[in-house]
Amino acid sequence: MGRVVGIDLGTTYSLVAYMDAQTGAPKTIPGPYGSSLLPSVVSVDAKGKIIVGEDARDRLLTEPELTIYSVKRLMGRGVADIQDELRIFPFRIDAKSDSVIRVNLGEKSFTPPEISAFILRELKSWAEAYFKEPVDRAVITVPAYFNDAQRQATKDAGRLAGLEVLRLVNEPTAAALAYGLHKQKRGHVAVYDFGGGTFDISILKLISTTEGDIYQVLATNGDTHLGGDDIDNALMDLARREIQAKFGVELDSRGEDVQTLRKSLIRAKHELSSAQKTLIEYPLGAKGMYIREIKRAEFENLIRPIVARTMTPAKLALADAKLTPAQIDEAVLVGGSTRIPLVQKTVGEFFERTPHRELDPDEVVALGAAVQADILESGVKTMLLLDVTPLSLGIETMGGVIAKIIPRNSTIPASAQEMFTTGVDNQTAIDVHILQGERELAKDCRSLARFQLKTPPAPAGLARIEVKFLIDANGILQVAAKDLRTDEKHVVEVQPSYGLNDTEIERMLEESIDFAEQDFAERQVIEARTEADSILAATDKALKNAGSSVVTAEERVAIEKSEAELRTAMKGSDYKAMREKIDALNAATEHLAEVLMNGALSTALKGKSLDEF
Amino acid sequence: MPLSQPQTKRAEGVPVTSCWNCKGAVSGTHFCGACGKIQPLPAGMDYFAFFGLPRKLTIEPAALDGQFHMLSWKLHPDNFVRASEFERNLSLQRSSELNDAYRTLREPLSRVEYLLEFLNVRKEGTTKQQAPPELLEEVFELNEWLDELRETRTSGGEVALLRGRLDAAAGNFQAKLTEVDAELAALGAQWDAALDSGADEAKRTALLTRMSEVLNRRSYIRNLVDGVQQEIAAA
Repeated sequence: MGRVVGIDLGTTYSLVAYMDAQTGAPKTIPGPYGSSLLPSVVSVDAKGKIIVGEDARDRLLTEPELTIYSVKRLMGRGVADIQDELRIFPFRIDAKSDSVIRVNLGEKSFTPPEISAFILRELKSWAEAYFKEPVDRAVITVPAYFNDAQRQATKDAGRLAGLEVLRLVNEPTAAALAYGLHKQKRGHVAVYDFGGGTFDISILKLISTTEGDIYQVLATNGDTHLGGDDIDNALMDLARREIQAKFGVELDSRGEDVQTLRKSLIRAKHELSSAQKTLIEYPLGAKGMYIREIKRAEFENLIRPIVARTMTPAKLALADAKLTPAQIDEAVLVGGSTRIPLVQKTVGEFFERTPHRELDPDEVVALGAAVQADILESGVKTMLLLDVTPLSLGIETMGGVIAKIIPRNSTIPASAQEMFTTGVDNQTAIDVHILQGERELAKDCRSLARFQLKTPPAPAGLARIEVKFLIDANGILQVAAKDLRTDEKHVVEVQPSYGLNDTEIERMLEESIDFAEQDFAERQVIEARTEADSILAATDKALKNAGSSVVTAEERVAIEKSEAELRTAMKGSDYKAMREKIDALNAATEHLAEVLMNGALSTALKGKSLDEF
Repeated sequence: MPLSQPQTKRAEGVPVTSCWNCKGAVSGTHFCGACGKIQPLPAGMDYFAFFGLPRKLTIEPAALDGQFHMLSWKLHPDNFVRASEFERNLSLQRSSELNDAYRTLREPLSRVEYLLEFLNVRKEGTTKQQAPPELLEEVFELNEWLDELRETRTSGGEVALLRGRLDAAAGNFQAKLTEVDAELAALGAQWDAALDSGADEAKRTALLTRMSEVLNRRSYIRNLVDGVQQEIAAA
C-alpha cells in the first residue's frame, strides 16, 4: 500500500498535504515550481496532452478555447442548473450533454469529475515525487454545503485519479481540525470559509473527553455558488462597461482578451487587500489603454452586496445551532477571499470578536484533510469529527409534497426507514423519488435520485417494502430495501439525477487507468535516468583524471563493470533496477570519491599562504 | 407512495444471541464482552435501550451528551476504516442508529413522540387534525379574521387593523402552546413516577393516551400559529 494524503480540491487552487511523522504537524507538499498552490486549471495542447496548473493557467491567456478553470462550479450539476454561470464563465458545454455536463476541451469532451481527476492526478504526482513512493489513498475536502450529487462527483473524481477516497471531509470542519491542533481551543467555534467559488459557515462545539477531543458540528450553511469568482466578475462588469463606454469596444467573453483583463483585475483585487488604491491597466491595441485607478473604498462599495450575501447563511447556521453571536467563543477565517479587509471587518462585527487568521487561509483546509487522513490511516485516534448533513433529505409524496425523513444538521451517519406499498391492485412497481432541500414542494428541491421497487401482482396495499435511507460519513446517500413479506433483500437500482452511474464510471476508469498507473512509474524512470546520467558523467570524468596512484587497476575494473551494468539497466524501464545499479556504482566509487575529495581539498589549500587561514 | 408519514424512529436489527466472531454470548450492548467485536443491532432495541436508559421522559441533557460522545468515540466509522467490510457495515449501522437516537431523545418533544410511537400509542400523521373542543370558538373567530384579511388584501384595502388583531390572536395561541408544553412536562413526570413505582398497565396506558391527546392539541395549535404567521407575513 502507498501513502495517504489530504487534498483540498478547490475552485481556484488545489493543494495536497500530509502528516509529518517527525514533527507531528501537517505540511503541504510543494509542486515543481516551489509553490504548494496548484491552480485548478486544466488545458489541452495540440497533441491532446493534458496540462494542469501553472502552465495551464498561462494558457488561459494564449489558448482560452483549450483551457478550463473553476470546474468545481460544474460538479454534480445538470445543464439546466448552470445557465446563469454560462453567462459569466466561458465554459464550452458539449451539446450532447444531458443530465451530466460534458465540457469541450480541444477535440474531446470531458465530464466535470474527469477534469477534476486531472487536477487530483497532478497533486498525486506531486506527492509521489516528494515521497518517492506511490500515493493511492486520500481524504478529499468538499464544501460543507455540497449536496449529495456534488459529493458523489468529487468521490468519482478521486476514483478516476486512481485514489481510494478514504473520506470526504467538509472544508470548514477540516479547517477547524487544523486550528484545533494548532491552538487547542474549547467551546463554540464559527468557521467562516469564503473561497474562490463557494461559501460555507459551520458552527462547531469542541469537546474534551477522557479519550480525546471531539469536534461536533452543530450546524452548517452556505452557498455553493458564492466566492472570490463573484468578486472578480463584479470588477469585470465594471471594467467592461467602462471600456465599452470609453472606447466603444465590446470584449468577447470567451476570448483571450477577457482573460488578460481578468488577470489584471485579480491582481488589483489582491493589491487592495493591503494597499488603499491601485491601478487597473489593460491595453486595447490601437484604441489606446484602459487605465483606471480604483480606491479601496470604491472596491468595498462594489463588493459589499457580495459580502453581505454571506451573512444570511451565517445567521441561519447560528439559529440552527440555537446560539447567538455572543455565544461564539472563536471565529476562524478560511479561504483566500477572507484576505479582503471588508470581509474580516464584517465577520468581526457579526461575531463580536476579532477572527483568527493565524494559519494561512489557503492552506488550512488541506492541512486539516491531512490530519484526518492520518487519523484514518494510523488507526490511532486522537480526535473525532462529528459532521452533519447540510440539507434535509426527503421523499416525494402525493401531490408533489416532500416528506422530510432526515432533517438538515443531523449528525452523520444518519438514517431513516420508510415503508412502501402499492396504491392499486396488481401494481408491480412503486416509484420512489429522493430529494434534498428545505422547501415544501418537490419541484423546489434538488432531485437526487429515483428508483423503482418491484413487487409481484397483488391486491393494493398488501406489499410491504421497507426502504432504508442512510447518509454515510461522507454525506453520501445509500439506499437499501427489504421485502418484509419474503424477508428478502430488494435490489434497488438507483439512477442518480445528476451524476454518473457505475457503468459510466467503470468505462471512464478503463480509459484513464492506463495513464494513471503509468504516471508514477514513468516519472520514477525519468528521475532515475537523470540521476544515472549525472553519476556516470562524474565517474567517467574522475576515472579519466585519476592516475594510478589514486585508483588501483582492480578498483578501475570494478567501477567500469558497475558503470556498464547501470548503462544496461538504463536501457530498460525498470526504475527499481536502475536505482540498484546506481547504489552499486556509488558503493564502487566510494573510495575514489574520498580520495578525490581529499585531493581537491589539498589542491585548494596549495595556492594559499598561511596568512589566509 | 409511502404507506404512512415518515417512520424514522423504529429501531431495527437482527436478533443476536451469540457473537458473530467468537460465538460467545453477547453481554455488552454494542460490543462482545469476550472478544470486543462490534455487534449487529438486536431486534427491537429502542433508542432508550441504545443509551442504556430506562424509558423515562426526564433525561438530563448533560448526561445524554456525555453518553453520546462516549458512544460516538467507540462506534464511529473512523474506527473501522481498516476492519472487514462486515464490521465497517456494522459500524455504519450502529453509528447511524446512535445519531438517530440522540437526535430523537435530545428534544423533549421528539422524545415523547418517539415513546408513544414506539409503544404503538400514536402514529404520526394518522391522527386527524381536529380542533380541540375548548378552542372551537376562538378558532372560528380566527378563521373569520383570516378570511377578512385575505379579502382586504386582494381588494387593496387597509390591513393594519386586521393585522394587529391577528397578531394578538397569534400571541394568545402562542401562550396556549406554552401551557400545553407545561401540561406535557407534568404528564411526563407522572409517567416517570409510574415507572419508578411499578404502576400497573392500565394506569400507564391511561397516561400514554393522555399524552397522545395533548400532543394532538399541541400539533393543532402549532399549525394554527404557523398559518397565521404566514398570512401576516404575506399581508
